[in-house]
Amino acid sequence: MLFNKLGLAFTFSPNALALLKIAHRLQKLFQSELFIIHAGENSNEVHEKIIKVINEADIPDNSYEIIIQEGEASKIITNICEEKKIDLLISGALEKESLLKYYIGSVARKLMHEAPCSILVIVNPGNLLDSFKRFCVNVDYSQLNETAVKKAYEFAKLENAKEFVLVREFQIPGLAITIYDGGEADKAEKTRLEIQKEEEEKLKIFSDELGLTELEVKRVCLYGKQGWEIKQYAVNSNSDLLVLSSPQKKLKLFDKIFQHDIEFILNQLPCSLLIIRS
Amino acid sequence: MNLSSTEITIFLISISIILFFARGFGELLRFIKQPIVIGEIIAGIILGPTILGSLFPEIYNSIFKQYNSVAIALHGITILGIIMLLMMTGIEIDISVMIKQGRKSFLISLLGILCPFILGFFTAYFFPSQLGLADSGLHLVYSLFIGTALSVTALPVVARTLMELNIFKTEIGFSIITSAMLIDLTGWLIFSVLLGIIGKNQSNNFEIHEVILILAAFTLFVFLFLKKFIDKTLGFSKKYLSSPGAILNIIFILGFLGAAFTEFIGIHAIFGAFIIGIAIGDSVYITENIKEMINQLVTNIFAPLFFVSIGLRINFIQNFDFAFVCIFLSLSLIGKIIGTYSGAFLSGFNKNESLTVAFGLNAHGTIELVLGMVAYESGLISEKVFVALIIMALITTLTSAPLMSIFIKKSKMLLKLSDLLKPQNIIFTDVDKKEELIKQLCINICRINNKIDCEKLISRVIERENQMSTGLENHLAVPHARMNIQTPLAAIAIHKNGIDFNSLDNLPARLIILLITPENKPELQLELLSEIAVKFSNKNFIEELINCEDANELISKIKQLY
Repeated sequence: MLFNKLGLAFTFSPNALALLKIAHRLQKLFQSELFIIHAGENSNEVHEKIIKVINEADIPDNSYEIIIQEGEASKIITNICEEKKIDLLISGALEKESLLKYYIGSVARKLMHEAPCSILVIVNPGNLLDSFKRFCVNVDYSQLNETAVKKAYEFAKLENAKEFVLVREFQIPGLAITIYDGGEADKAEKTRLEIQKEEEEKLKIFSDELGLTELEVKRVCLYGKQGWEIKQYAVNSNSDLLVLSSPQKKLKLFDKIFQHDIEFILNQLPCSLLIIRS
Repeated sequence: MNLSSTEITIFLISISIILFFARGFGELLRFIKQPIVIGEIIAGIILGPTILGSLFPEIYNSIFKQYNSVAIALHGITILGIIMLLMMTGIEIDISVMIKQGRKSFLISLLGILCPFILGFFTAYFFPSQLGLADSGLHLVYSLFIGTALSVTALPVVARTLMELNIFKTEIGFSIITSAMLIDLTGWLIFSVLLGIIGKNQSNNFEIHEVILILAAFTLFVFLFLKKFIDKTLGFSKKYLSSPGAILNIIFILGFLGAAFTEFIGIHAIFGAFIIGIAIGDSVYITENIKEMINQLVTNIFAPLFFVSIGLRINFIQNFDFAFVCIFLSLSLIGKIIGTYSGAFLSGFNKNESLTVAFGLNAHGTIELVLGMVAYESGLISEKVFVALIIMALITTLTSAPLMSIFIKKSKMLLKLSDLLKPQNIIFTDVDKKEELIKQLCINICRINNKIDCEKLISRVIERENQMSTGLENHLAVPHARMNIQTPLAAIAIHKNGIDFNSLDNLPARLIILLITPENKPELQLELLSEIAVKFSNKNFIEELINCEDANELISKIKQLY
């Protein structure tokens, strides 16, 4: 199966019910186990409150396990994901962050960076009880990215998605400065167009190599800042799920000051986000 | 105080003459495929005391010297030019790309700075008079300056060379450009501390540690907070104000304000422009189009005024000192080449690739001219040293591209199919089964590279073939697989009668290219496959290849494609 064990980061928020419904829908779609994880006071009262919301979401009694632990939310959720070998964590979206929070980090952001498994962050869960119809998938040609694209594709097939777009962002650092010292703007533009053509050809071969033949695959190559361009594309094309492979290295403060590609997206999610980890 | 009508007339005429000569000599140099900036320096030498001032002193004086106010106005414009030039360089420095490149560019730039810096510093420290130190009170600062002057690299020259050699998108090209950015950034940081120290010696009251603290605080403030503000402001301008005019306007306002601030705190204005430039360049609203507009304005109008002004101020003949030129040139070559070569070699490039990196980063170019000019204006270096630095910058800039080109050809970077082919990798066959042909090609590769597990290779290629046929159009097929190897490998089979490969156009495959690429480099496989698809799209050319009678003929025909 695509994902065998789902975890839901549960909080008592207005979106709790909608998130539970989505988690249950995906549980059925993937035929997987569901763990409802709550970081907070571990008492009967809290347990009963969670059960009450679960019942409201019409989730059958024997189809889930509730785990409640006290402590720092992101650490607890990360540990439980590791312990239970969860392979997809579902979470609500983070709010738009203030500058201070941006550098310090919120729970949702920490989870997105530190969860040991893939993570699905749902934006506006109340509006999304049906299914994901428009997939926008980032391509960076890494080995992990191949897995991510394949998983996204399988997911899109299960969802019977209307649109599956592979987006490749590329950039040529230093190209603009070549027109300095007698370089011609036309020549720089020609180089850019040649590289654009090469990228389009590469993307076509990439999708052929992965054998993505059952759904119609749209391919888009965008020139510009990585992370930012795909975010804009997702907004403009009304995508409802953006899929990325996780960054290959652990991000540090430096990656926040000089934004890493993924930070452009995490900063303000354009739609729901699926980050695939190996 | 207003300029008189005569002064305004002279001022405008002098600017027109400078721009006219700069363009004329610049184009002449471009015609012989040399950097335009050299033409601009020559224009300055001709218009300045070296030629015009010696031959026709009355004309020279009446245009450039007669009115003090005109000279001040011209100086003001050259300051604008230098500030814009540094802001433009800053805009092009992409720190997130440098971080992505990580260890490689870090090692190359670290050694590429350290080596010439240490060499320059200690030579100047122990032999100050031989290196032109006039004021012994500036012994340490002077040594630090010589170290810095030998370390810098000109980003624009590097970028142009990469484009001309068509290696922008290669691993080596990416390493060179990101290292050049890092060297530029570090060089300017060190130089700004020096400027702060010189400033202290001259007028302001900051101690060295205070200068460093102020610089660090300014840089942190710009990158942590101002950068976000700049991004938001540019976003707002794009959305609500007239674009791109308003964006250009805001860029220059911010650049000038940053420059004013660092000038105010006792460090030269160019540092503020450079740091603000980096913050501006990081904004998502700075498109290539906007960058090109800035570059056009700066490099065609303001920068020439600055470069010509160098020659206007100094008599190159009187101040030419052959010994200084030789010393600076040798120090720069030894320090830079050894440093960048070691950095590249340690980060995994082979010998020739490392030499390509080393000569690519050896161009000192315009950055050296700015650095020299500022040091000269602040009284740190003499005219003779400045002239020697200019000549060193011009020679390293002129030799960078041709030397890079030699080593890149030798480096066997295996970027193209033509680099991978050897006569023993070409077979002529008439087997009648696809699997049999694939086996023959794989065995051919394994025979030459005995480290490869041949059984595994055959099964991988066939497995890939079964997943989806690799038969393309016009009798071409490209079976391929990834293996645990370091560099890509290729073999070609010519099948005169053709063999069924389930091709897209149902034609039998007659030219079959087996391509094996490293497992850990998926993108390299895509690059080579897309290159084959594009280069071998001509039906007549494939016919020509199929009709080749021997391996050497086939390889030479394929090489014609590149």
